[in-house]
Amino acid sequence: MTRDEIKNLVIEIIQDIDEDATTDNLDPDGQLRDQLDLDSMDFLDIVMELRKRYKLQIPEEEYPQLATLNSCVEYLEPKLKDF
Amino acid sequence: MADYSLVVIGGGLSGLAAAIRHARFDSSVLVLEKHDKPGGLNSFYRRGGFLLETGLHAMTNYAPPEARHAPLNLLFRQLKLSRKQISFHQQKGSLIRFPDRDLYFSNDQDLLLNEIFEKFPHDIDNFRRLISSISEYPDTAAKNEQRSARRYLENHLSDPLLTDMILLPLMMYGNSAEDDMDLDLFFVLFRSIFLEGLFRPGGTIKDLLDLLLTHYHALGGELKFNSEVVEVLTSGASVAGVRLASGEVITCKHLVSTAGGAVTSRLLPGAVDKEMPVGKMGFFESIYVLPQTGRHKVDDRGATNIFFSLKDEFTYRRPDQAVDPSWGVICFPDNFQDLPRAENFQIRLTNPANYQTWASFSGKDYEEKKKLWAEKSRDAVIPLIGDFYNEIILEDSFTPLTVERFTAKEGGAVYGSPMKIKDGKTTYDNLYVAGTDQGLLGIVGSMLSGITMVNKHIFG
Repeated sequence: MTRDEIKNLVIEIIQDIDEDATTDNLDPDGQLRDQLDLDSMDFLDIVMELRKRYKLQIPEEEYPQLATLNSCVEYLEPKLKDF
Repeated sequence: MADYSLVVIGGGLSGLAAAIRHARFDSSVLVLEKHDKPGGLNSFYRRGGFLLETGLHAMTNYAPPEARHAPLNLLFRQLKLSRKQISFHQQKGSLIRFPDRDLYFSNDQDLLLNEIFEKFPHDIDNFRRLISSISEYPDTAAKNEQRSARRYLENHLSDPLLTDMILLPLMMYGNSAEDDMDLDLFFVLFRSIFLEGLFRPGGTIKDLLDLLLTHYHALGGELKFNSEVVEVLTSGASVAGVRLASGEVITCKHLVSTAGGAVTSRLLPGAVDKEMPVGKMGFFESIYVLPQTGRHKVDDRGATNIFFSLKDEFTYRRPDQAVDPSWGVICFPDNFQDLPRAENFQIRLTNPANYQTWASFSGKDYEEKKKLWAEKSRDAVIPLIGDFYNEIILEDSFTPLTVERFTAKEGGAVYGSPMKIKDGKTTYDNLYVAGTDQGLLGIVGSMLSGITMVNKHIFG
C-alpha cells in the first residue's frame, strides 16, 4: 500500500466508525483525537478494524503512534507494505 | 480449535451487546439463552391479546445526538447502530411524592433546581454545589471499597427529607443493597437520571430487541434459545466450554456470563470471585390496561413516573411481609413525548416485595395472594392517582418468583448482588462477568457493561 492509500484507508475507517465525522479538512499533523473528538473507545475501533482487515496486531503501548494522520501513515507503512 | 471465539451466557441486553460488539470484528460468537425470547429482565409476554413489557419503565441516560461522549451515543457507536434506527421519546416529567412535599423533575435540569428553590429554599445553594461536585467526579475514580451515598448527601444537604426524596428514584432504579447505596453507584445513577434523564424508544421493547437481533445476525453472530447452560467446563484456571441441559457441549476461547455472580459460580467447580451474596431487593409489579375512555379516572398529573413514599421517612429495605405498599413507583408508559396515542393505555405499579414470603406460598395460595396484594397495593395509591379499577380491561401481576423464573436473577433480585465485580474479572482467566453483577445498571448501563468487558478483556 502506498502512503496515500494508507491515508485514505485511515480516513475511510474513521468515517465508518462515525457517520458524522467531517474528515475533509484534517490537518495531517494535528491530533485526530482533538480534531474529530474521538475517545479511547473510537481508537480501539480503528485498531480492531485494522486487525480484522489485515490481521495486524497493534499492542496497546503502540496506540500513541496512531495519534495523527501522518503518524498513522509512518507507523502502518511497513506493516501494510505487502497489501 | 474451539467451536466459537466467544460464548455468551444470557440473551439479555448486556449479553446481546457483548455479542454484537464481538461480532462486529469477529463473528465467531454464540449467545445461549435459556428462554424462548431475548431480553432477560427487559423482555415481553402476551396476555389477552396485548403485548406487555417486563422491566422497562423508562430508559435512563438520555442524551441528544450532539453529546458525542454521552453513554447513550457511545453505545450506538460501539455497536455500529445508528440513532436513526429508533425514535427517542423523552419523559414528560416525573414526580417524587412524599406526604407533604412534591418534587418534579424532567430532562431539563432547571426544573428540578426551580422545584428545590421553591420547596427547599434553604438547600438550593447546597444542591447546586452537590450537582457540580457530582458532575466533576471522574468516572475512573470508581473504587472497590464501599462508601455511603446517604452520608455524602447528608453532608451536602441540611434537610433530611430532601436526602430521602433524592434517593427514592435512584434506589428504585438500581440499588441492590438495603438502606444505603454505594457512592459510586449513586454518582452513576444521579447522572443517568437527574442530569441526563429518562426516555423510551418508540414501539415496544420487542421492537428494540428485534433491531438488536437483526443487526447481530447480519454481522454473522449466532443465538440459541431454550439453551440453558448447566455446567461450565474448565481445564485448570481456564474455561474450555459449556454443557447445555440437552447434554450438548460447546467449546469456546472466551466466555462472558451475564447470569450473575452466584449463578455463574454454581456452574463452575470453583467460585467466580469473592462471595456474592444474593440481593434482597425484589419487587412486586402490577400492570393495568385501560381504555382511553377511562383516563378521566386516573390523576397522573402528566407524569411519566411517580416515585412515592406514603410515609415521611423512606427506608429502602426488603419488607417483612409479601409486599410493602407504602412506597414504590407508578409508571405511565404512555406519558412520553410525541408517542402516538394508542387505543389503550397502561399503569404499572411497583412496590418492594419479599422473595422468601412469596416462595413459601403454595400453588393456589400463591395466585390468591397475588390478587390480594395487587389490591392492597392499588388501594394504597388511590389517594395519589385515584380509583381506576372499574375501568381496567386487563391486569396482571408478577412477583420476585416470576422474575427469578424468567431472568435467572437469583431471589428475584432485579439489581443483582449488593457485591459487584467492577472489573468483570473472575478466578478463571478467560471467563468474564457482565451485566447487573458487574455493576452497571439500566438498559444503557448494562449494554455498556457487555461492550466494555469485550473491549477490555477480549480485544484489549
